[in-house]
Amino acid sequence: MWKKVFLALFRIAAIMLLAGFLGGTLIRVAPGFAFDERQLNSSLSAQSIQAIRQARLADADILHYYVRYLGAFTHGDMGMSQTLNQPVRDLLRDRLPATLRNLAWAVGLAWVLGLALAAASQLTGSRVMTFIGEGLSGTFISTPAAVLALVFLLLRFPPQFAPALLVFPKIYRYCHNLLRQSYALPHVLTARARGASGLRVLIWHVLPTMLPQVLALFGVSVSLALTALLPIEVICDVAGIGQLAWQAAEGRDLTLLVGLTLVVTLLSVSANTFSDLARETLLRGKA
Amino acid sequence: MKLARIIAGTILLLAAAGALGARYLAPAGYEQQFRESLDAPPSAQHLLGTDDLGRDRLARLLFGTRISLLLAPLAAAIATALAAFIGGIAGYFGGWVERCTLLIVDLFLAIPWLFLLITVRAVLPLNLSPESSVAITFLLLGFLGWAASARVVCAGTRDLMQSEFAWLARAAGFSGFKFLRVHLLPNLRGTLLAQFWISVPVFIIAEANLGAMGLGVSEPLPSLGSLVGELQNAVVLHPHPWQFVPLIVLVVVISCFQTLMNKFEVRA
Repeated sequence: MWKKVFLALFRIAAIMLLAGFLGGTLIRVAPGFAFDERQLNSSLSAQSIQAIRQARLADADILHYYVRYLGAFTHGDMGMSQTLNQPVRDLLRDRLPATLRNLAWAVGLAWVLGLALAAASQLTGSRVMTFIGEGLSGTFISTPAAVLALVFLLLRFPPQFAPALLVFPKIYRYCHNLLRQSYALPHVLTARARGASGLRVLIWHVLPTMLPQVLALFGVSVSLALTALLPIEVICDVAGIGQLAWQAAEGRDLTLLVGLTLVVTLLSVSANTFSDLARETLLRGKA
Repeated sequence: MKLARIIAGTILLLAAAGALGARYLAPAGYEQQFRESLDAPPSAQHLLGTDDLGRDRLARLLFGTRISLLLAPLAAAIATALAAFIGGIAGYFGGWVERCTLLIVDLFLAIPWLFLLITVRAVLPLNLSPESSVAITFLLLGFLGWAASARVVCAGTRDLMQSEFAWLARAAGFSGFKFLRVHLLPNLRGTLLAQFWISVPVFIIAEANLGAMGLGVSEPLPSLGSLVGELQNAVVLHPHPWQFVPLIVLVVVISCFQTLMNKFEVRA
């Protein structure tokens, strides 16, 4: 067990390092990186503009930059944001809690909504319930996060609920299919034929069968919620890391962007690794 | 479901026809300003009214739909071609080639791709022409959106390589490019087609998200995303029902693609 955990942690660390490097490289090779908007500011002196240009050139060698960045990172220094003129660590400390709170709301609500609708549709066997589930999931799966953010802004709804509506269609569809397959399994059919109640069949026969597969979706739901949160935070003016990423991208702030890439990758890979580990543990327990 | 697909296909055909014939159907050019009627409500002259700069909303919607509907499939084609190439090679060779390729795929999937897209799109030059911004936006979508499809193609190729007909073909002396062209690609067509159709609505959604944040197609060229982005101020200040038509068109177009996509998923 501990070996598995150790390997999973090693995998997270390796992917984070590579993702940070990949993100930094993509940003560095993008054609507009060498240009800083502040160079257009006519109120700055020639020396200031030259200093900005030099600072930009200092990051030109991405490998050298990244090795230097990681060296400082091991000492807890994530560098200084060029656009916001604050340590990246402080910026992340300020912004991360809001995003994590919204992420928890989004994932929690999406699972409750998706599972409840799928179970209600399967247990009642009602066409109306299936129609409601399919209709809602079909509508929200076709809605861009930015559009939903605008609707929430218009209706003055709390923005933390918006990502849940974008994530739940995947959960609903996946769970609905799983429930349908599980209810067709021989041991479930036997239990029903012997007169076991609907709730008993669900809790004792169906849920244990589908739990490992449901767990596999947990990591994906976190990644989906993270992706949905980015435009929602920008449009609804939520002070999270999505908005910070937007500001960093606009200011071509490489230090902040690499830091954010590491954090976002950590969240996404950790959720997927937790999902995989939990699923494997459950399957081994069953065996 | 068949009826739903027929309706979806018809709506998409109508939207495509309207978008392709924008030049003839639009009452004015997408950039033409009517300075005497700024932010005007719908009228006989301007069926959807005008925007803050006095441009006809219907004209911008038709031209914007054209850009999104034509270029999202193009980006999907690029992503599918990349996925076919990378996933196909990984599945064909197997072993360490497959493991290394899947590691790169995992790496791309580990970073939420909208984050990557926003970042790379935002560091592009500030002085891009509107036409270049269109090309770059959709090329980026194509070049960054291949990873998930590559994994599916890799699995499909691996399965094909282990099938009986593949063994027979190799025993008969087929190998390399000929084996790929005659045996693998025709059998992967269903998978590739499904991946293409899955990617189209995903890319329209991604362009809409970019456009809403001002990182999509540059002014004065419209796209469904940039039209949704224009709503941001209107929503806060003085929303009118006719301003939401682009938003409804966007959601309807994506829903139609999703409905049609189910058919290709089943076929694949």
